[in-house]
Amino acid sequence: MEYGKPEMMAVAIMRAISDGDIVFHGLASSTPMVAMKAAKAMGKTFTYLTLSDGVDHDYLKPPTVASTLTANTYEGSVATFGLDEIFDLYSSGKGDIAFLSCLQMDKSGRIAMSYLGGTYDNPKLRGPGGAGSATLTPVTKKTIIWKPQHDKRTFVEHVEFATTSPDVNKEFTVITTLCIFKKPAGEKYLKVHTIFPYTTLEEVKENTGWQIDETNVPVMDPPTEEELRALKLVDPNNILGFEFK
Amino acid sequence: MWGSDLVAKRPEFFQVVKSPFDGTEVVCVKALVPDYAIIHVQEADIYGNCRILGPSYQDALMARAAKKTIVTTERIVGTYRMKEEPKLTAVPHFLVEAVVELPGGAKPGICYPEYQAVEWPKHKAYQKAVKEGQVPQYADSMLEGRL
Repeated sequence: MEYGKPEMMAVAIMRAISDGDIVFHGLASSTPMVAMKAAKAMGKTFTYLTLSDGVDHDYLKPPTVASTLTANTYEGSVATFGLDEIFDLYSSGKGDIAFLSCLQMDKSGRIAMSYLGGTYDNPKLRGPGGAGSATLTPVTKKTIIWKPQHDKRTFVEHVEFATTSPDVNKEFTVITTLCIFKKPAGEKYLKVHTIFPYTTLEEVKENTGWQIDETNVPVMDPPTEEELRALKLVDPNNILGFEFK
Repeated sequence: MWGSDLVAKRPEFFQVVKSPFDGTEVVCVKALVPDYAIIHVQEADIYGNCRILGPSYQDALMARAAKKTIVTTERIVGTYRMKEEPKLTAVPHFLVEAVVELPGGAKPGICYPEYQAVEWPKHKAYQKAVKEGQVPQYADSMLEGRL
């Protein structure tokens, strides 16, 4: 079966989830939505939380639009648990994974979500702000940032205004279209952890705005037939492709 | 909120204080108190008891935070509906200032399970109206023939 960047990113997300995890994804997050449904279809037993209030919705309800607030993440749920309750849960240290995204990021994982360019009061681009990421990043056991681009406009040397930044004592992961960066617990900077099969460390370096010192990094296994079938099963309308158009 | 530049940037909303319990530093966030919360529900009675029969998002929280809450509802129902299943009353009457019966009141957005797809042409027209300062005219067009 053929695959591209969307499928590889989704599979990297699926593999990041372990049995027993409590996992949340945010608003407008079609990539982790499809990946988490597929991880369920593969038989992973984790708790799926999201903003629709649904807990462990019926993953076979296919998304028809990229919004993550539609009926498909609510119907067939076993309980409701709203965003305010999710924030409380994670603030109590009980959340394992939060899939969040960013406008820009630097090597220490400082994330811009509030604005880009100009000043705070007079920005060139006003972002969605920090409700989710500023609240969840410091308290989530494993924050995972998904970003369906990998270029020097996104991964910059220094983020001017950090809407949030990782806790030095917590693991912090970034999944892009080319690779996975990780900041291990106890360390300050992101390192290239794994690259995807269709790229090279050189290409990652060329498209990253900070200096990468790693010289030899493992290549992630390509998606298996089973993983690709799970993605197709839960996403017949190819909503996964939305972020990659 | 640790690690966020917002804490230093917006002291009117965020302050770091020592916890009175164990002396550790914690970020305090100022409570927001909106003048009004306007929420749309599937069922309300004439006293303001509201049943939210789909995702409730933070509607109940907003109703508790606001000075006054205005409810629009797909339909007015008898209070006996609330008595059948009190737990489904997401917002009780004493938090509610006014109830407006307005079927389709969440359009062009969605109100599960009554209508589940965003009406994009109307949504775009709304966005355009906001940008151009034409919201009252847009609201008039939405309500045409209904009042």
